Amino acid sequence: MECYLGIDVGSVSTNFALIDKHGKMLKKLYLRTAGRPIETIKSGLKMLKEDLKDDIEIKGVGTTGSGRKLASVIVGADVVKNEITAHAVASISEIPTVQTILEIGGQDSKIIILRDGIVVDFAMNTVCAAGTGSFLDRQAQRLGIPIELFGEIAIRSKNPTRIAGRCAVFAESDMIHKQQLGYKVEDILKGLCQALVRNYLANVAKGKEINPPVVFQGGVAANSGIKRAFEEELGMEIIVPEHFDVMGALGAALLAKKAMSQNKQKQTNFYGFEAAFKEHRAESFECNGCPNLCEIVQIYVDNKLIARWGDRCGRWSENVAV
Amino acid sequence: MRIGVPRALFYYMYYPFWKIFFEALGHEVILSSPTNKKILKDGLEFAVDDACLPVKVFHGHIVDLLDRVDVLFIPRIISIEPGEFICPKFLGLPDMVKSSIPDLPPIIDSNLSVYKNRKDLIGHAKSIGTDLGHSSRLILKAYTIASTKFNSYKKFQISHEQLPLDSGQKSFFDSNSSYFSRHKNKCLGENTLNVLLLGHPYNIYDNYISMNLITKLQKNGIKVITPEIIPVKNISAGAKNLKKRLFWTMGKNIIGSTYYYMDCGKALDGIIHLASFGCGPDSIVGELLERKLSRNRLVPFLRINIDEHSGEEGFNTRLEAFIDVIEGRRRN
Ligand code: SF4
Ligand code: SF4
Repeated sequence: MECYLGIDVGSVSTNFALIDKHGKMLKKLYLRTAGRPIETIKSGLKMLKEDLKDDIEIKGVGTTGSGRKLASVIVGADVVKNEITAHAVASISEIPTVQTILEIGGQDSKIIILRDGIVVDFAMNTVCAAGTGSFLDRQAQRLGIPIELFGEIAIRSKNPTRIAGRCAVFAESDMIHKQQLGYKVEDILKGLCQALVRNYLANVAKGKEINPPVVFQGGVAANSGIKRAFEEELGMEIIVPEHFDVMGALGAALLAKKAMSQNKQKQTNFYGFEAAFKEHRAESFECNGCPNLCEIVQIYVDNKLIARWGDRCGRWSENVAV
Repeated sequence: MRIGVPRALFYYMYYPFWKIFFEALGHEVILSSPTNKKILKDGLEFAVDDACLPVKVFHGHIVDLLDRVDVLFIPRIISIEPGEFICPKFLGLPDMVKSSIPDLPPIIDSNLSVYKNRKDLIGHAKSIGTDLGHSSRLILKAYTIASTKFNSYKKFQISHEQLPLDSGQKSFFDSNSSYFSRHKNKCLGENTLNVLLLGHPYNIYDNYISMNLITKLQKNGIKVITPEIIPVKNISAGAKNLKKRLFWTMGKNIIGSTYYYMDCGKALDGIIHLASFGCGPDSIVGELLERKLSRNRLVPFLRINIDEHSGEEGFNTRLEAFIDVIEGRRRN
């Protein structure tokens, strides 16, 4: 069977999506990157390989996320795309009329505005921690609540506590304070959901025109408390797509499918699942060529140098004999 | 004498004038290195914490010049367009540098204000020349050469759509060809993607600070238009659309250019505003542009804030996504 593979490498999670030639999801993986992107990409490949029947043939590969370049040189990608476009493509494939995408992942959050099926505007927040999945994880942990139950419990609240949500540090200390005052856990959780949503709308979505259909995706979309808080704040229905947690990977796979079908002659660059069994090594050094002192990253496969980046001048990246 | 000119802030506006002027007076002009990691680091170390990024970078350029010049040139700039001011930070620059960096060589800090009259540039030249101990006759001669060439440089920039990058300035000094081809009213190319790039000259033309933004756009086949290659009368025409007159030059250039090109429909594919963190004027202008452009959705708009911690990763992601947006709009 002909398939396409999408890989989304972020600093918190690394996701895989394998789709068939109609764009149907065959298999998805959501793995923790844990600071080891190369190992995570390889173990993802291994897991896919073990799960799949042998008649699978990968016809194209797309990578996205902050580690898209790294993933691309490890697996051999046909398309390397930014995560905004990838998320939009995936969303459109599930809800073709989508006009607004709210995305909250582990390490960042974004908003994408679409009209007539094309992206017209977007914004992205990579600085502020208060609006991300990692922050929610931490607070759930602090309250001793499994993150999976976070939303469920929050939704029970009748009297949400008001939590200052401007910044992660304030939100946290405010929450601790409210906890000490004896507020109910569900009220605090709901308050936290509302704070995160307010913060997102005031910062990430500032000045954007949010029209329905609104799709909510990214890891945090699993949290029904946040979804509810968005619905209450925006006064609209919020759609969480089936594959909300791997939309970037799905988008990358769809983009690979599109690129390969536009050019029928082209063979995929995919190195095959064997890539998972090769030895990869990333090294870095400081270039002394000029006062920029760039940190150059070198990627080796089985001791052969295959890619380099990090230079501002092209001195290293443009000189890799492949 | 070796006169050190920092490759920062006003360099991007007046350098050709001063270079020719100083050389006509018989001095050697030493330019600091293009911004690099060390310059940025020195800037962060020496400048006061709450300064905007470009002012910090400026301090780094001063440090870069310290051991190789006899005097430093840090003019006190007040106004570069009649009836308008520029950011007050420029005014305090010589004093700021004096109090932040120890062991400085002598500084030439004569005022530059053309608030009343464009010709007042001559007053600036006179005070520099006098500080350096030259006769009025020589100063006047040097001024005439410099201002004539500087004016033709500015015309050349517009007529040849030459962005004042370092390379752009060089090609002006090297070329003896005639620069006076007729300038087009609009610089929009027909078969390319056209992007209007807005921001302070010392941000958008400093390749280190802008993370090579202009080159990155050009590599994607995009034609980059900046206020520096737009005829002044077009910018003024654009700025007239604002209810209030804008009294500071850089804000006017940005807003005026936007209003002038905003209604070009699909001929203009996108507008990018590169703003620096800690810049009051930028945040006001950015806010204004965002409201105007996002609300009407006339043309895709991207606002990028840069600070000393900006990673190239997130920057590239935004830029690539924006290029996808404008390509998508073109196709539709
Ligand atoms: S890679 Fe290029 S820009 Fe970076 S330090 Fe080396 S020579 Fe300088
Ligand atoms: S205009 Fe902004 S960036 Fe320029 S000197 Fe003033 S505060 Fe700094």
